Amino acid sequence: MSEAVVPPRALWVPFPLGRPLGAINDPEFQKDVLRTAFGLLDTAVEPTIEDYQIEAPDKGLSDNWVCPLNLGPESSGSLADRLLSEVGRLRPWAMETRRERGRTLFGVSGAREDQVDQLAQTLAAIAETGEVTCEPANEEIDWAFDMPLLLRHIADDLRTYYHEAIAAQPGTSPPDHDALNRWIFGETILGETLVLVADGLTRASDSPIAPLVRGLLIPEGHYRGGSAFPETASFPTS
Amino acid sequence: MVRLSDLHPVESDHLRKRAEMMPAIGPGKWVTPPALDQATVAIVSTAGIHRRMDPPFTVGSLDYRIVPGDVNFSDLVVSHISANFDRSAFGQDPNIAFPIERLREMAFTGEIGDVARWHYSFMGAMPDPSRFEETGEEIGRLMAKDGVDVALLVPV
Repeated sequence: MSEAVVPPRALWVPFPLGRPLGAINDPEFQKDVLRTAFGLLDTAVEPTIEDYQIEAPDKGLSDNWVCPLNLGPESSGSLADRLLSEVGRLRPWAMETRRERGRTLFGVSGAREDQVDQLAQTLAAIAETGEVTCEPANEEIDWAFDMPLLLRHIADDLRTYYHEAIAAQPGTSPPDHDALNRWIFGETILGETLVLVADGLTRASDSPIAPLVRGLLIPEGHYRGGSAFPETASFPTS
Repeated sequence: MVRLSDLHPVESDHLRKRAEMMPAIGPGKWVTPPALDQATVAIVSTAGIHRRMDPPFTVGSLDYRIVPGDVNFSDLVVSHISANFDRSAFGQDPNIAFPIERLREMAFTGEIGDVARWHYSFMGAMPDPSRFEETGEEIGRLMAKDGVDVALLVPV
């Protein structure tokens, strides 16, 4: 892509998507990446793409990560009950991460930090009814998006809550994106719920954007063994 | 960024096709900035980062959000639409995609001249980057008024 855009000076880095500086909480490594990029200001005399040669020090650390909590599977109760039970078990850990960091990424859907249970109930209801185009009936949350795109952000807020819960648990470092997704879609009620919501988007033939939202809802490889993204998807612009 | 071989095959194939279909838009005018220890640096992110008070990005957003140089990480959230990048990393250490603390440290030690007053955030995942031309030129004018010498583009 850089070859098409032709930036004046580009440093290609071998790091996973979402980690362009390479290593979390490693200021020296991050500054080495920056220094290498800035070095192109002195050396490049025409559009240049240089490779960064050093792997991230935490590469592969999450390959064998497993969640220490035994969250299920629970077979009794409604989907909402099971999801709320799971969310409740994660709550002390999620609160601990928020306390430690003094911040959270939760809330982009419009839900407040203390409305995670309502968010879980809303998502479970949508999964059970398959109603993916009408705004959820919850007057206490000021939704930040219209349906069905809202689904993608409800999912992300809940994923954030799960990520933050896992991050506080004992261990050398929290799992990466791939390990988190293997856990969520392989072992949790949240993953089961998200797949059901994606099924609802598949059936929503009256919504032109529903197939695209399904692709934005579930990471590649986690929708019934394959891709949630439609074969062809056009991106509207605004 | 990222080796295609490290991605899920569907995502890898998707990005490869994207790259093949992406219209060529460069190169731009060649500019040589002052020496780095005299240069003011601004971050331009495509991670969909913004302050919690800002309107979130949506599908196909072509607009941008401003991020002040003295921003506190507790004010930042991410509304990028893609489910395929590691935002848990940003949750652990926002510098992983928005390295403002690293720039502050490098300004303090004199490696860079200064950190810009304002930084800029877009949502990436746009198949045709030429659609950003108008807003790109706009933030270019804003950065010029802010005394910015070097724009550090950080895709996610």
